[in-house]
Amino acid sequence: MADFSWNTQSPLERALVPGHHGVTGTQVGVMLEEVRDINLVQVMARRGKVVETVKAAKKVFGVEPPSTPGTAAGRHATLIWSGPDQFIAFSARSERDHFSKLSDAFAGVASLSDQSDGRCLIRIGGPRARQALSKFCSLDLDDRAFPPGAAATTSIDHTATNIWRGADSSDGHAVFHILVFTSFADSLWHTIQDAALEYGVQASLAHTA
Amino acid sequence: MRIACPFCGERENGEFTYLGDAAPKRPNFVVDGGESPERIEDAFYDYVYLRDNLAGVMREYWYHGGGCRSWLVAERNTVTHEFIAVTAAPGAGAASAMRAGE
Amino acid sequence: MSGYSQSEPLARTAPIEANVRKGAKPASQSHRLPGDGIIDRRSPLQFSFDGKTMTGFAGDTLASALVANGVKLVGRSFKYHRPRGIVTAGSEEPSALVEMRTGARREPNTRATTQELYDGLIANSQNRWPSLRRDLMSINQLFAPIFVAGFYYKTFMWPARFWEAIYEPMIRRAAGLGKSAELPDPDHYDKAWAHCDVLVVGAGPAGLSAALAAGRAGSRVILVEEDSLIGGRLLSDGGEIDGLDAREWLRRATRELVSLPNVRIMTRTALFGVYDGGTYAALERVSDNVAMPDRHQVRQRIWRIVARRSVVTAGAIERPIVFSGNDRPGVMMASAVRTYVNRFAALPGKRVALFTNNDDGWRTVETIERAGAHVVAVIDPRHEVPVQYQRLVDTYDLRVLAGVVSDVKGGVDGVRSIVVTNGKNGLTQRIDTDCLAVSGGWNPNVGLSCFHRGKPIWREDIAAFVPGNAPKGMATAGAANGELSLGACLRDGHSAGARAAAECGAVGKPGEASKADDEAYSITPLWHVKGKGKAFVDFQHDVTASDVTLAQREGFESVEHLKRYTTLGMATDQGKTSNINGLAIMAEASGRTIPETGTTIYRPPYAPVAIGAFAGHHRDENFHATRLTPSHHWAARHGAVFVDTGLWKRAQWYPRAGEKDWLESVTREVLAVRNGVGFCDVSTLGKVDVRGADAGAFLDRVYINAFSSLAVGKARYGLMLREDGIVMDDGTTSRLAEDHYFLTTTTAKAGPVMQHLEFCRQVLFPELDVQLTSATDQWAQLSIAGPNARKLLQALVDPSEDLTNEGFPFMGVREVQLRGGVTARLFRISFSGEMAFEISVPARYGAAMAENLMIAGKPYGVTPYGTEALGVMRIEKGHVAGPELNGTTTADDLGLGKMMSKKKDFIGRVMAGREALTAPNRQVVVGIKPVDRARRLRSGAHVIPKGAIPGPQTDQGYVTSVCFSPMLDQWIGLGLVERGRERTGEIVGIHDPLRTEDYEAEICSPVFYDPEGVRQRG
Repeated sequence: MADFSWNTQSPLERALVPGHHGVTGTQVGVMLEEVRDINLVQVMARRGKVVETVKAAKKVFGVEPPSTPGTAAGRHATLIWSGPDQFIAFSARSERDHFSKLSDAFAGVASLSDQSDGRCLIRIGGPRARQALSKFCSLDLDDRAFPPGAAATTSIDHTATNIWRGADSSDGHAVFHILVFTSFADSLWHTIQDAALEYGVQASLAHTA
Repeated sequence: MRIACPFCGERENGEFTYLGDAAPKRPNFVVDGGESPERIEDAFYDYVYLRDNLAGVMREYWYHGGGCRSWLVAERNTVTHEFIAVTAAPGAGAASAMRAGE
Repeated sequence: MSGYSQSEPLARTAPIEANVRKGAKPASQSHRLPGDGIIDRRSPLQFSFDGKTMTGFAGDTLASALVANGVKLVGRSFKYHRPRGIVTAGSEEPSALVEMRTGARREPNTRATTQELYDGLIANSQNRWPSLRRDLMSINQLFAPIFVAGFYYKTFMWPARFWEAIYEPMIRRAAGLGKSAELPDPDHYDKAWAHCDVLVVGAGPAGLSAALAAGRAGSRVILVEEDSLIGGRLLSDGGEIDGLDAREWLRRATRELVSLPNVRIMTRTALFGVYDGGTYAALERVSDNVAMPDRHQVRQRIWRIVARRSVVTAGAIERPIVFSGNDRPGVMMASAVRTYVNRFAALPGKRVALFTNNDDGWRTVETIERAGAHVVAVIDPRHEVPVQYQRLVDTYDLRVLAGVVSDVKGGVDGVRSIVVTNGKNGLTQRIDTDCLAVSGGWNPNVGLSCFHRGKPIWREDIAAFVPGNAPKGMATAGAANGELSLGACLRDGHSAGARAAAECGAVGKPGEASKADDEAYSITPLWHVKGKGKAFVDFQHDVTASDVTLAQREGFESVEHLKRYTTLGMATDQGKTSNINGLAIMAEASGRTIPETGTTIYRPPYAPVAIGAFAGHHRDENFHATRLTPSHHWAARHGAVFVDTGLWKRAQWYPRAGEKDWLESVTREVLAVRNGVGFCDVSTLGKVDVRGADAGAFLDRVYINAFSSLAVGKARYGLMLREDGIVMDDGTTSRLAEDHYFLTTTTAKAGPVMQHLEFCRQVLFPELDVQLTSATDQWAQLSIAGPNARKLLQALVDPSEDLTNEGFPFMGVREVQLRGGVTARLFRISFSGEMAFEISVPARYGAAMAENLMIAGKPYGVTPYGTEALGVMRIEKGHVAGPELNGTTTADDLGLGKMMSKKKDFIGRVMAGREALTAPNRQVVVGIKPVDRARRLRSGAHVIPKGAIPGPQTDQGYVTSVCFSPMLDQWIGLGLVERGRERTGEIVGIHDPLRTEDYEAEICSPVFYDPEGVRQRG
């Protein structure tokens, strides 16, 4: 018998319709992207093993994981604070045994869980991104409260999400990343897009480099 | 209402779930530990059901389920709703802690 | 973050609604002044009121446009259908309530005084039939004696059957205010969050001062203003600030605020709630000023504003004086008269009389005279003209009368004359007038400062309540704080703003407070002029002074009783103009002081908020977030009917062409599984990665049975109790590695179980090394069931994988390689009772997995099945689910008592041993089969002894789950029945009061199908 084909499907298969939505004008208010082909590994220090976990992370990623809400840019991965003594290692999808290699590196000091399919990554930018976000996110995303590199776990539409701010775009606008549980992604995408319609929204698909 | 999670900072109360009085401690129960079954049952009865109805400051369990998933112990004034202090549960994160039963 | 508001409505132009009859000659603006109000005469707007076309200008409110058109009569009152006009010029308006718009957008009880005029506006008066001028219901006035305080309680007491049949429909027809639309609201609403250091509420002189001080100091400031313009009373009363005309000062202040990037001004935004911890709620009327919201724009938006400090500068409300006929159209607050003239260049009357008990009312004289109209008399009970206004007496040759207005004469068109009673000798005289301006003094707007049960404090010098203990973080300033002069407002606002900024850590300089005169203000309280006619306290609810005194005589002396007995202050205006007068009259009647009498409790919302705004985005398909399974779109393509299971959408069944109903489809699916093979997406089950050195010990404490003894590569069914001994949840948990378990929960309890497990980990057993991660969304999990399940899988997995009973025994778990290079987890577990596997692949492969199962299973007639077939098969096998795990059952009730380990402590162990939870007569799970095999069993039906009379004494339990069993070819069910296990074979009565059915059924084993479990072991 022939092999089976294993086409992958994004949770935004239907919801994401690339192109312009909402108010048309000279400027796009909100850029909305799904970032595909990601690796996400949840790393949680074992009891009493915080120091060892930090050490192991430094060895693997070249940086210490953030100990308070924030992000740290490491080798091949961004480390995102996701709770006390835990972080998410976010990277572009690479080799197949990424997870087992990491598991070996943290063996005995941290518990790892592969979440690459458990979350969907949505990126929001553009001059009106904050206004759109303020409709579904209760956080203060002002520069003073949430500068580049800031991260938080917060609930959106009653579901837990991770949100962090990356580097500003080349035209100087803030860029926010939201990790949402895969099963909620379709629903949340609609919520975000609806919130952004009045500013004009450009929806598109991005792949990690 | 705003609750200051010791890990995440101040958040709106929709991110949290209330459990109740943090005073009762789960009784230690060792099978064939030699304790009389009546005393153990009484201790659990107290633990599960008996609560003071405080008007004033009490310690309560809150769960930051919409955020970092930490269990918290909050000192809250039940009359004014003011939160006086919020601390993490003993076993939040990777902290090592001894079991605190009675 | 600066600018006027999120949606920048200022930039929008009003579209023209075609509904206004163009061509009809609009009435001329007979009462429009040539002066320089803040209206745009280059932008004329056409609107219609009660079908009559009129014109106004951009910048008008509906009320000011009506005033400009000489319209006085705008509605009929609630109880007595008395003609009513415009009383105020603000959001406190109790009288000029109209029905706005038409069709699906029709909205009743809109205050004409806050409704901005737009081209094509359509408004209608309400509470009149058949027309405003000829209202047949005004006959109610003749029945006035029965409409006294408490008339509902007194009149409609008996006979009881009259209530529904006669009284209620009559009252509803006669007494309702406007009519709401009966069609779904076509507009959108949303909600948003905003954050700041200092929230300033109200952009009058005090608010502008506060915002400037806090903004200059460097704080993040939000300034909210309910009006479309900032300025507050400056827009109406003018004055001189820092040597500049008030309007010029306002322009400069606005420019400075807009230039500060840390200041955000939100107009058309009314603060309506103050909540704990510095959270405030405000309603932004984004599109109420246009006929229809722009495409993609909302009608209204609720803001939740989180502020470290707030400065409430919400001003004060001028209060009426209660006298006979004070509700006639044309009787208007003095401040409103000035607003219409100065701001809107609209003249409420050409021969104006002024009735004031305080200095501020006297401002009105100059306004009227300068507008070219005439003040026919000033009636002031104080017997002395205020010093600062004595010059007016000569300048305008004023007729000043020391006395009170004791009656108002006129018709539906309003005031024609007033009767003035001399304060000394009681002699009366009649004065012709077309507008009576009234000022009873000013009530600081204490509402927002009292939302946390703060008690306002009485200030004798201004005869008004001022804020008492305001909520934490809130300061009050300006007129809201009892500072009634312009100079004091500016100083008070500035210092409150500067203080709030400093408390938030701002280090910049707040600058100097702007300077203005401190006009003298004195007042001699006058609440009520006793007389014969109806003297209204609450215009909107038609509560009169005599209703208040009657309430007092009948013992309803407490203000809270007064409010409920008379409905004083309970209308949509919440008594903004009436509460203080009502309680002052009560104080007088009961011989107490006003502070002794006290105020009622202030509660949000400050002003009415549409339910649609509270719902925001959450309506229709966005009512709540939904969760989709990895194979959702695949299932949709295959025609699945979906069911909401909590937030999830799950495939319920897959109808095929020609099938006449769901039962036929479900029966086919069950038979396909039992005779061949089928698959079902079970990804909705909660999945938790449990890792750590103590993972096994941890599970031993949360499950009633042991898991530390489970071998790696094996799965086990587990049951969790709550600490009170009642079953919490069940599921299969597998051991994937020494320190790694994969726990599953029911779909419904995934969230609560995760919370419980974290509680156990962090609070109860912090000494255990265990980490928990939700993996629910990571995995697409599909159940493959039926005698051909193994054959199907063999086609799918790599040929090297051994799936025989020896190579992969029942309850085995391991990773397998699939053809085409994907790794899956395979579990040999069964819910259907058939030979079955559950296969897990990363969610991205969920749809491909469904498709590949169809391909691999084609030779075996593989059938996708939904939750209904799943339910049928679990009932046939006697597996318990939600209806049995219902929060009242114990492990033993479910027939699982033997699973409870005796060797360890676990959550719920001790309490599960209590007498009541182990009583022999508990209701336990049994099977139930109707004796008549053609009879349909229904869940919820009660079980009683055969032949017994149904009732609480004979009730022995109920049917929890039912299905049509294709294998037994009849309806079967599970039930919870007293001593059920001892009663196998007994015929019982089934009583279904909901469907009025009574029939007999047999108690049997809950395992209807393959009781030995041969099939699942395959």
